[in-house]
Amino acid sequence: MNGKLNFVKERNPKEVEAIMHPFIKEWFFSQFKGLSLPQLHGVMPIHERKNILISAPTGGTKTLTAFLSILNYLVSLACKNELENKVYCVYCSPLKALGADIYVNLVRPLEEVERIAKKHNIEMQKIRVGIRTGDTTTHEKQKMLKNTPHIFITTPESLAIVLSSKRFIERFSAVEFCIVDEIHALASKRGVHLSLSLERLCNVSKIEPVRIGLSATIAPIEEIAGFLVGRGRDCEIADVQFTKKIDMAVLTPVKDIIDTEAASLHSELYNFIDQLIEKHKTTLIFTNTRSATERVVHHLKEMFPSKYLEDIGAHHSSLSKEHRFDIEERLRQGKLKVVVTSTSLELGIDIGYIDLVILLGSPKSVARALQRIGRAGHRLHETAKGRFIVLDRDDLVECCVLAKQAREGIIDRVQIPKNCLDVLSQQIYGMAIQQAWNVEELFALVRRSYCYSELPREDFFSVIDYLAGEYALEARDVYAKIWHDKETKKIGKRGMLARMIYMTNIGTIPEESFVNIVMAGGERKDERVGMIDEGFLERLKPGDVFVLGGHKYEFRYTRGMNAYVAATMYKSPTIPSWFSEMLPLSFDSAIAIQRFRLLMEEKLKKDKKEDVKRFIKEFLYCDEHCAEAVYNYFYEQYKFLEIPNEKKLLIEYYKGEKDYIIFHSLFGRRVNDALSRAIAFVAARLRRRDIEVGISDNGFFLAGESIQAVKALRMLNPDNIVDILKEAIEKTEVLKRRFRHCATRGLMILRSYKGRTKSVGKQQMKSGFLLGSVKKLDENFPILKEARREVLNDLMDIENTKLVIEWIQAGRIKIKETRTKLPSPFALNLIIQGYSDLIRVEDKMNFLKRMHQLHMKEIEKLKE
Amino acid sequence: MAGKEIFKGIEIKGKALWIAKEKILAVADLHIGYEQALNEQGILAPREMFKEIEKEIKGLLKLKPKIIVINGDLKHEFGRISRQEWKDVSNILDFLKKHAKKIILIKGNHDTILKPISRQRGIDARNFYIKKDVCFIHGHKMFAECLDKKIKTLIMGHRHPAIILRDKAKSESYKCFLAGRWKGKRVIIMPSFFPLVEGSDISADFENKLAFNFNLKNFEVYAIGDKVYDFGKLKKVRSLA
Repeated sequence: MNGKLNFVKERNPKEVEAIMHPFIKEWFFSQFKGLSLPQLHGVMPIHERKNILISAPTGGTKTLTAFLSILNYLVSLACKNELENKVYCVYCSPLKALGADIYVNLVRPLEEVERIAKKHNIEMQKIRVGIRTGDTTTHEKQKMLKNTPHIFITTPESLAIVLSSKRFIERFSAVEFCIVDEIHALASKRGVHLSLSLERLCNVSKIEPVRIGLSATIAPIEEIAGFLVGRGRDCEIADVQFTKKIDMAVLTPVKDIIDTEAASLHSELYNFIDQLIEKHKTTLIFTNTRSATERVVHHLKEMFPSKYLEDIGAHHSSLSKEHRFDIEERLRQGKLKVVVTSTSLELGIDIGYIDLVILLGSPKSVARALQRIGRAGHRLHETAKGRFIVLDRDDLVECCVLAKQAREGIIDRVQIPKNCLDVLSQQIYGMAIQQAWNVEELFALVRRSYCYSELPREDFFSVIDYLAGEYALEARDVYAKIWHDKETKKIGKRGMLARMIYMTNIGTIPEESFVNIVMAGGERKDERVGMIDEGFLERLKPGDVFVLGGHKYEFRYTRGMNAYVAATMYKSPTIPSWFSEMLPLSFDSAIAIQRFRLLMEEKLKKDKKEDVKRFIKEFLYCDEHCAEAVYNYFYEQYKFLEIPNEKKLLIEYYKGEKDYIIFHSLFGRRVNDALSRAIAFVAARLRRRDIEVGISDNGFFLAGESIQAVKALRMLNPDNIVDILKEAIEKTEVLKRRFRHCATRGLMILRSYKGRTKSVGKQQMKSGFLLGSVKKLDENFPILKEARREVLNDLMDIENTKLVIEWIQAGRIKIKETRTKLPSPFALNLIIQGYSDLIRVEDKMNFLKRMHQLHMKEIEKLKE
Repeated sequence: MAGKEIFKGIEIKGKALWIAKEKILAVADLHIGYEQALNEQGILAPREMFKEIEKEIKGLLKLKPKIIVINGDLKHEFGRISRQEWKDVSNILDFLKKHAKKIILIKGNHDTILKPISRQRGIDARNFYIKKDVCFIHGHKMFAECLDKKIKTLIMGHRHPAIILRDKAKSESYKCFLAGRWKGKRVIIMPSFFPLVEGSDISADFENKLAFNFNLKNFEVYAIGDKVYDFGKLKKVRSLA
């Protein structure tokens, strides 16, 4: 059913120049020396009206590649006075700021071309460019109706709103081009949402618009192309890779990261970063979390008060729009020496000249590493300079392998969510607001999207039933958002408020709010040590001990948006921590590290130290320093126990304050999350007792009494794992949270209703009740089904988990069990850093009975 | 059903209280219309609660009560009453009337406009109800009559007590009764009858919002599960929490 994909070749510059309008040509060559590689690949296919995905490193000339043919066409129409009052081209970018950049970058050349035309005494029609985002005023919207922008710049959310506006869609009746920028950043529900909007756009347009996708380096490129064009359409692919030179290295701030004490490691790190900043003009530092971003800025300012005052900035998504804008502006003007960011500066807005990118901590995937480093030397032929700085030995190995993969062009694959019923609900509601539909035609439209091409009929109709209020017969009036006439097979919107509700509740990005963690007393009084989810705070009781950034804190009290804590060393955590911020290591990169482990084991078995080190240096392209550290880490593990690898799943039994069973399963957190919960759930059921699990990218542990872990693992197979996991997540916080997100996307919880907006805390509280009653209503209610799918497929990685289980069953991975007195070197970080959760199987009534007995015993003791 | 006699002649029956001698059945805090209130805020909670309440009350009617006391907050929302709520409240009152001689409706803080419905059925909504030496009162307000020396037992609701049990990383909550003494009277605080949500944690900050200055630390805690579990005094529960 999928269309044909074709990798395009570079065209002859003469051929491209031949199609250029004289004015465009004059403008182009006054600005550029010649056509760039992406342009030689991409301009002609667009001119020939073929769908195309253009993938090239950041800083290329991708955007102009997309627009050149379009501008060419519009200018030729304008000169002939044939421009109509309609949208010719829709440009959609996930970033509002990027839209604003593009606007400027289009208006300027158009003015140039006008001037050139005037010079040649040609009266040219004005080519209009317009931006429509959430910030656009009503007045501006009115103006757009009258004088329609020929190039319409928008975001995925605003596009969906415009598509539900009766008056505006007339202007979309013959759209000829549609550009999706930064498509690699849309392998998410936001992209799923956009894929349906694109089908809606095609539906209202009499002409099938040419789809143009712009992407940074991404894999699998064929899948992204399919996602761009939808089912049954052909697509050209211009894969213009590695024209940009990259200079990468992995660095450690001290010679010996294992024997340096935490405090001195900390100050060495900042000295090291300071030296790097000193040697460069502008440095961009990437951390993986918002809290780490804040921490780095704070410490740099504190340690070097004379250096970093005015010319340092933080940029992350929790900061205000104004603050971020200010930082971007000052970066462009070259006024900042250093900017620290989490993920928010990964995307392609123009940030001026950066000559060094520092990656603090592993970027967790090759694509992200390239994307981040690509922000340096933001011009095609300049070398991008990136430095990974690592603080522990797992990070060291991980970053070295990522850098190797990046150098060799091996990109990890992304997965695009499929059949999301919450997004579908929101879009069907939007479509019903737009017009009445024949339900079969609607189904056919939905299935043209790549993300719904295999949507089961019953799932589609369960969404229709939900929206039509069929699940709540007695009170249909309250629940129904659409009407559904089963005889005429038609659906349409219901309610006077429909449009208002749709416009104020659209979107797919879940809202989260954060609370600061602050020291309550002692030497570090009032020091901010990090941030936690508001949802997590709700679960804390005074006295609870939790882990944050590897340290244990006891919760005391809250004041406003601050939670006050005391550091504790001796108490064990009483409550599992849940860090929604953590980036998971990609499966492909994880496997690459496992392969390196296998090679290392073979070398250590037969070679001398110097030979092994030489191998490390050659294989990982790293320096003496790193090679020594990597060697020592592996040697210690090898001597102490043995090296888990691609072919050997090591299971380590260790008795500490709890009985630990440590699985050295280096598959990334998403697979480990699924695998550990499934094993724990089966094992817990064998004994009817809850089991604690700790999960990291490198493995997981189970803790509890007499756990039959291997027996449980052997009971898993690719066919039963989904059902087991569905049961295992049923009582977890994560399902509750994801259900809230899905209920909000699916418009079951309206964030904004009748002029009032609900806080995240309130949404979460009410969604707990909602989840309970939905479960009573129907186990397969579409929004509930979606929440489970999201946990299994998007948060966890059920597909690769099945693969791992198959490998174990087929003997491709052998299981090796071993008992240790102390956790092995590879297990240490896992025990310290793995976030933990509890797998519950114990019946609520049994728990009450057991706790009552315990309680009575305690009281007896007190009496004695 | 979980049952236990906590004072002479007064028994816990699930989430309700049963005084066998007078054949009085008491329930508190039903909060009918909670889902409608959510709907009003733009949260599409399906209406599962009413069915659940009906089912549970049917079970209790096997006791064949003469008098049924609804100890406040029959209805959830302040302010205007929707048609559905009107229907639900009417249905439950009619249903109860069929099964008991007398229905006593105590006014709670949420029941500001119950009068028209109850009056239609000849049921008076009142601030408290005294039967012999037992006084039923919602608990958000004090009435001098309830302090009368003749009254030996005060029974109230309002605070939705629940006990949270923790074991390492695990925690679960259960509805519970609190029973103790105050100014020579026996006092019982009932859990909410409201399904799906257990109630407020008794181990922290529970004393406020009650119109009485009880010394709750010395109250006994009875958790409701498959049977009634006596957890001893609240101060013990708090010290072990």
